[in-house]
Amino acid sequence: MKRKFIAVIAAAILSVVFAGSAMAQEINAYMGTSPDNNAKIAKFIKDKTGITVNQTFQSCGEIEAKMKAEAPNFSADMVIGACSPQGFLAKKSGWTVPYVSPAWKGVPEVFMDPKGDFYHIATFSFVLVGNKDRLAKAGYKMPESWKDLLDPKWKGEIVMPSPLSSGTANMMRFTFLALYGDAEGWKYLEALDKNIHHYSRSGNAPTDLVGRGEFMLGITSDENVKKRLNDGYPLLWSIPAEGTGYDGTTSFIFKTTKKLETCKKIIDLLGTQEFSDMMAAIGYVTPRPAMNALYGKTLPKFVNLDLGKASDDKAKNNDIWKQKLRTDFK
Amino acid sequence: MAAAELSVKLQSSSGSKVKDFLNANLVNILAAVLFLLLAFFLLFPIVMVLLKSLRGAEGFTLQYYKAFFSKQYYFQSLYNTLLLGAINTVVCLVIGFCLAYMTTRGPWILRKPLKLISLIPLIAPPYLFALSLIIMFGRNGLITKMFDLHWQLYGFSGVVISQTLAFIPLAFMMIESTLMSLNPNLEESAYDMGASEATILRTITIPLLAPGLLKAGLLIFVMTIAEFGNAAILGGRTPFLAPDTYTMITGESDFNMGSVLSVILIAPCILIFFIHNYLLEGKKFTTIGGKPVASEPRKITPLIKVPFMIITTVAAGAIFICFAIVFIASFYKILGVTHNITLANYLDFTSNQSIYNSIRVSFVAALIGAVIGVLLAYVIVRGKFFGRTFIEMASLSGFALPGTVLGIGYLLAFSAPPLKLTGGIMILALNCVFRFLAVGVEAGISKLHQIHIEIEEASADLGASFLTTFYRIVLPIMFPAFIAGFLYTFMTAIVSLSAVVFLVSPGFDLAAVKIFDAAVYGEIGIASATTMKLVLIVMICMMILNFISKKTRLGSSMAPTKPT
Repeated sequence: MKRKFIAVIAAAILSVVFAGSAMAQEINAYMGTSPDNNAKIAKFIKDKTGITVNQTFQSCGEIEAKMKAEAPNFSADMVIGACSPQGFLAKKSGWTVPYVSPAWKGVPEVFMDPKGDFYHIATFSFVLVGNKDRLAKAGYKMPESWKDLLDPKWKGEIVMPSPLSSGTANMMRFTFLALYGDAEGWKYLEALDKNIHHYSRSGNAPTDLVGRGEFMLGITSDENVKKRLNDGYPLLWSIPAEGTGYDGTTSFIFKTTKKLETCKKIIDLLGTQEFSDMMAAIGYVTPRPAMNALYGKTLPKFVNLDLGKASDDKAKNNDIWKQKLRTDFK
Repeated sequence: MAAAELSVKLQSSSGSKVKDFLNANLVNILAAVLFLLLAFFLLFPIVMVLLKSLRGAEGFTLQYYKAFFSKQYYFQSLYNTLLLGAINTVVCLVIGFCLAYMTTRGPWILRKPLKLISLIPLIAPPYLFALSLIIMFGRNGLITKMFDLHWQLYGFSGVVISQTLAFIPLAFMMIESTLMSLNPNLEESAYDMGASEATILRTITIPLLAPGLLKAGLLIFVMTIAEFGNAAILGGRTPFLAPDTYTMITGESDFNMGSVLSVILIAPCILIFFIHNYLLEGKKFTTIGGKPVASEPRKITPLIKVPFMIITTVAAGAIFICFAIVFIASFYKILGVTHNITLANYLDFTSNQSIYNSIRVSFVAALIGAVIGVLLAYVIVRGKFFGRTFIEMASLSGFALPGTVLGIGYLLAFSAPPLKLTGGIMILALNCVFRFLAVGVEAGISKLHQIHIEIEEASADLGASFLTTFYRIVLPIMFPAFIAGFLYTFMTAIVSLSAVVFLVSPGFDLAAVKIFDAAVYGEIGIASATTMKLVLIVMICMMILNFISKKTRLGSSMAPTKPT
């Protein structure tokens, strides 16, 4: 009799707890875009669904370290806007819930995992930037092919980020390896290395360094180019004929979440045209076509990529990179 | 002493055993608490780094060390670091010696200005020199453009120059203090007996200075190889261990390999720390026991004078120019590119926010650091318990520890529950407290050495309990040391970069990290203005410190104090 009574009480308490959480519509998320953009995304979700996202802002690397430390009991319900390697890692480790969202119908399949384990809510790319004044003074034109960068006339005049410290540079590297094939790709990078002055720590730094005229050309993240143009930097930007690469801004749901339905609602929302419009206005390339702040209506040409392979090869490629390229001694 | 025992007996007979126990053992209890703090916040993180470097996915492994020693890349990084340390040490010692010789033996008229200029870098964060080199010799640099120069600043030579300029004051200060305590009579009598200046230098001055020179050299070597900012900003494509460790952690998220790099970096530091301590054995805090005497200026033969003057002028000139150029650059968006004087760099919101954060962190660190430092000093000087030397060594070791190591250590030790501190202001403050503990402790020790234990004993004899004695006698005496410890910790913490760069959470920037980022991005104006603000803060601290030390004759904790 007594035991039954306790069970009833327990059930009552549990149901209250669950009902409470369902009503409050609150989730915890690890978010990996910039603080400003995280806040924009969280506000968008709140406005459209009433769900409050308690976000902690971290870099992709930190999110990865945190996931590894916490597994299998995550203190968040989902991840919004990490990088693609975290998506692949989470899927491979069995930390994700597959969910095929009906709201993502019609989105190109590069933006999602076939089983629905993760979604790229946007992608970012890299572009070639040049300093208008310096180029004019030297009488040079913006290169039209990535191969043009190998011309000795650019020696010491190109700057790009280092894949050892920048996710953007990692994307550049796997794009060139995919574009030319592994063997030829490394040959290209080695030849390019002869013209590179140095590899910057951050993926956005070349935009500034070229904008200030320290270098004629830079290979850089597309994230800040629009902003620097608005700031009045004498910048030219282009995407050479072969196209550019991309990496996902990745979101997924943790298996351990107690609010699966709420998380699913958010994934659904991230697949809508409205969300794409919002992200494109920031400058991201979006799952659904939208007017892009940097690229305008027509998106650039993309190199065919296998992001899963890129994620798997990262450590190996860093090793080759260190042996082949980085050291420079006198 | 008999009276003291009697009073203890009297008290114990009068009852209250707890009070009695406290009285007898308070020093030991204090020591135990401090020991636990040191173990937890200093040793534990280092042990974590060591463990991480040895623990792979399948338990204990040496594979990461194998990778380090079998790959050309890492070896070159180590080679560069050690070479940088060696060159830097030699150059700093030579320049430091020339400067110190001129300020202690040279003509009066030169002494003050030279001393002032050689101490300027003390109030500047080390990366100020990287910044000024970029302004002058960078790709957009003033001199580069003026003379169409093709010198490659980014690389080994750039790092060597900026590091040397940054560490001259340390060399100068240490050599000067030994030169001052060197009794000039010996040199003067040699001079009177007809020895040439060169002979005196070779056979008297330098041999007598040798221990001091060695000490200074070791310290400079350790601090150079551990310095992060200059190598990271100016290194270009030349790898050095400290910035490589940073990339390994923040870029490649490889904690194992990052830990290996740290352990490799820490090895020479620990070795040198022990040599250093061995050299100090028996003559703590003073190299040669003599009273500082200002010696009369002597006629220095041109043979010595000319090269000394050249070295001195070049070094002092370079320091002065570097300083001035950063000051000027802080009023331009980019000096040499834009030509409008602007205050925008000083008003920049994010950099002011970061200064505010830095002040908050450093204030908390200084407060905790000064309290712990003074208590530690008391325990070290007055305590008689097992492990006293160990506590002393541990609390003074922070100087020799590369900042990157403690940065990673804190990241490893305090990032997971139940010890989760990352992401907050406390982890930054505590890191600074235990890295810079040595200053507070040394200030406290030197102060305590000035007071004979008899005063405390007298107080006890007159019937005061330990607590009363501590409160009424020890604390007032220690107060200047507390203030000195506070200010020293504050100004060291506010400019420090190498450890906190691992620990700042996104959205909570510190000024030093902001300067580092801005310099890397080429935002020279902002970087210069933020640096100047730090310089101003440190200058104010120095002035207060100077005032207090004059009032209380405390002397700077770095200066030799006569042990009793």
